[in-house]
Amino acid sequence: MSEFVIFFLFAAIAVIFAMVVVLHRNPVVGALSLVASFFALAVMYVLLEAPFVAALQVIVYAGAIMVLFLFVIMLLNLQHVAEPPTRPIQQFLGYTSCAFFGIGLVYYIVKYAVFTTQPAGPFQADARAIGIRMFEAYVFPFEMVSILLLAAIVGALLLSGRAVGHRAKIGQEVGR
Amino acid sequence: MIPTHWFLILSAVLFTIGVMGVLTRKNGITIFMSIELMINAVNLTFLAYARQFGDLHGLMFVFFIMAVAAAEAAVGLAIFISLFHHRDTIDVDEANLMHW
Amino acid sequence: MAFDTTDVLLSILKIAIVLGLWLNVTPIMVWIERRGSALIQDRPGPNRVGPLGLLQSFADALKFIMKEDIIPAQAHKWLYTLAPTFGLFPALTTIAVVPWGRAFMIPEMHIAGRTLFEGGRWFNPIVADVSAGILVIFALASLGVYGITIAGWSSANKYSMFGAIRASAQMISYELSLTLAAVSVLLVAGSLRLTDVVAQQTNYYYVLFDVVKIPAWNVLSPAMWISFIVFVVSAFAETNRLPFDFAEAEAELVAGYHTEYSSMKFALFFMAEYMAMATMAAVVTTLYLGGWDVPYYNEPATFLGFLVSFLAFLTKVGLLMFVFVWVRWTIPRLKYDILMRIGWKFFLPLAILNIVIVAAFIAAGWI
Repeated sequence: MSEFVIFFLFAAIAVIFAMVVVLHRNPVVGALSLVASFFALAVMYVLLEAPFVAALQVIVYAGAIMVLFLFVIMLLNLQHVAEPPTRPIQQFLGYTSCAFFGIGLVYYIVKYAVFTTQPAGPFQADARAIGIRMFEAYVFPFEMVSILLLAAIVGALLLSGRAVGHRAKIGQEVGR
Repeated sequence: MIPTHWFLILSAVLFTIGVMGVLTRKNGITIFMSIELMINAVNLTFLAYARQFGDLHGLMFVFFIMAVAAAEAAVGLAIFISLFHHRDTIDVDEANLMHW
Repeated sequence: MAFDTTDVLLSILKIAIVLGLWLNVTPIMVWIERRGSALIQDRPGPNRVGPLGLLQSFADALKFIMKEDIIPAQAHKWLYTLAPTFGLFPALTTIAVVPWGRAFMIPEMHIAGRTLFEGGRWFNPIVADVSAGILVIFALASLGVYGITIAGWSSANKYSMFGAIRASAQMISYELSLTLAAVSVLLVAGSLRLTDVVAQQTNYYYVLFDVVKIPAWNVLSPAMWISFIVFVVSAFAETNRLPFDFAEAEAELVAGYHTEYSSMKFALFFMAEYMAMATMAAVVTTLYLGGWDVPYYNEPATFLGFLVSFLAFLTKVGLLMFVFVWVRWTIPRLKYDILMRIGWKFFLPLAILNIVIVAAFIAAGWI
């Protein structure tokens, strides 16, 4: 019973803060709301018997990615830049199409994806099982992701260098 | 035990909110955050199905999605910093140099 | 997963013990910090309020309450008010997964003719024994950066802002070496659960032709020395203590991220700093100093054994806290670029190197 209370409480938190992200005009408030939403999602992962993923969710999303977002927002001083209002027609089309999309999605799930069977168990999602699976079956994707991350680091360094016209200077900075 | 389809519905709602953000906002970083929200909704779906079918493949996908999202955040934010230095704005409507 | 009333009451008791301890850390540490700094700098220190100045902290607390609570006109009011609680949250929650004593069997109890519960019941002195224990610590500790960042941003003050940006960059950088240093310990323990980490350290190594036995504390094993040093130094950086307190850096940034804060809001930052310190000391104790283990003493699974192990844990944490104070008043602040450089170019590779060393030790069967 307590499981259901926790589910609904944190589902409500996740949805409400997600709405704040989309509707609030201040990007800093938006970023913090997204952190709250991600935190509520981590609770969902605990309810799904994957505490390892829940901890990773908080470490990776709340602890690293969102700090990066906040860092960039503060660096660019974006809180003072007023966002021009969206055209009413775009607003209207956006909201209505989203409403149809959402209703359709939920309808589809209710109609076709309701599981009457209990979830299969026991679900072994501890660090050992995940590690063994990761380095046996998924070792090639794992290496690909590491290369992808390296490429992302190099790309981010190159893109965010202030003088884009002076590649040589950026090259010196990287090489130092 | 909470039924799987409740998680799926929550995930659908979050995904829809993310779509709404992408469609109606102009601030590049807010759009980016909406995309992150959609990615997380997908992660939730993967995990819900992983539990339903009792195997780890869905969980593995979540790891790789997280890593890809981190890489995407780094590159995407770098693009916005670069855009801001060129245009003094991150309004995506202003980035229309390639626009016909 | 069946709970009865006694389980709930025991959980509440555990939470009350931990919370009571952690809330008292701040006044005690303020006193130790002031008297300790006086000792190191060869001056008397606060000695007017109470014997040896022991009541000085309470005088400070009273002063904080009486001060005017100022909110700057340009500040973002909501976030400005919420920021201190964001700072306090990780410091208070992280301790939940750290074990603080030997588990013991509570015998059957009869109070006023009624049986409280039937049969023996284990009292496990840890608030939440989760399987991803160490990851939970890093997850919650990584949220600590938000308190500082939001405080600095919402104050609408450029010095606060500088402090906040420095802190976020610093904490992201050092989190990596902190986590990678802890991986070595997890390799040896073979589990993410902190009770398993401590249980492994209650064993003994036999050295010198199996004659001498030394406790299997991770800090005593040569494979762990690099990781221990990296972890402790990163812990200093993570808690924003000197020589790495660039978020405050009073010589450069007035008071850094809490320049604009006054009254109880400032006191909350103060408390958060000391609680984060205490939590870090508890984590270092658990990972490297054997947790609640008393060497050469086999704690019985009774209340006495629990009490001895609990006191041992508190003593180790207290000693580490004193080291924090000692370092603060001994080593001057570094330069910011040096901090970032040693974090990325020195500690990160060292932590990875140590993982390789530990893996080699395990493969050779030495651990």
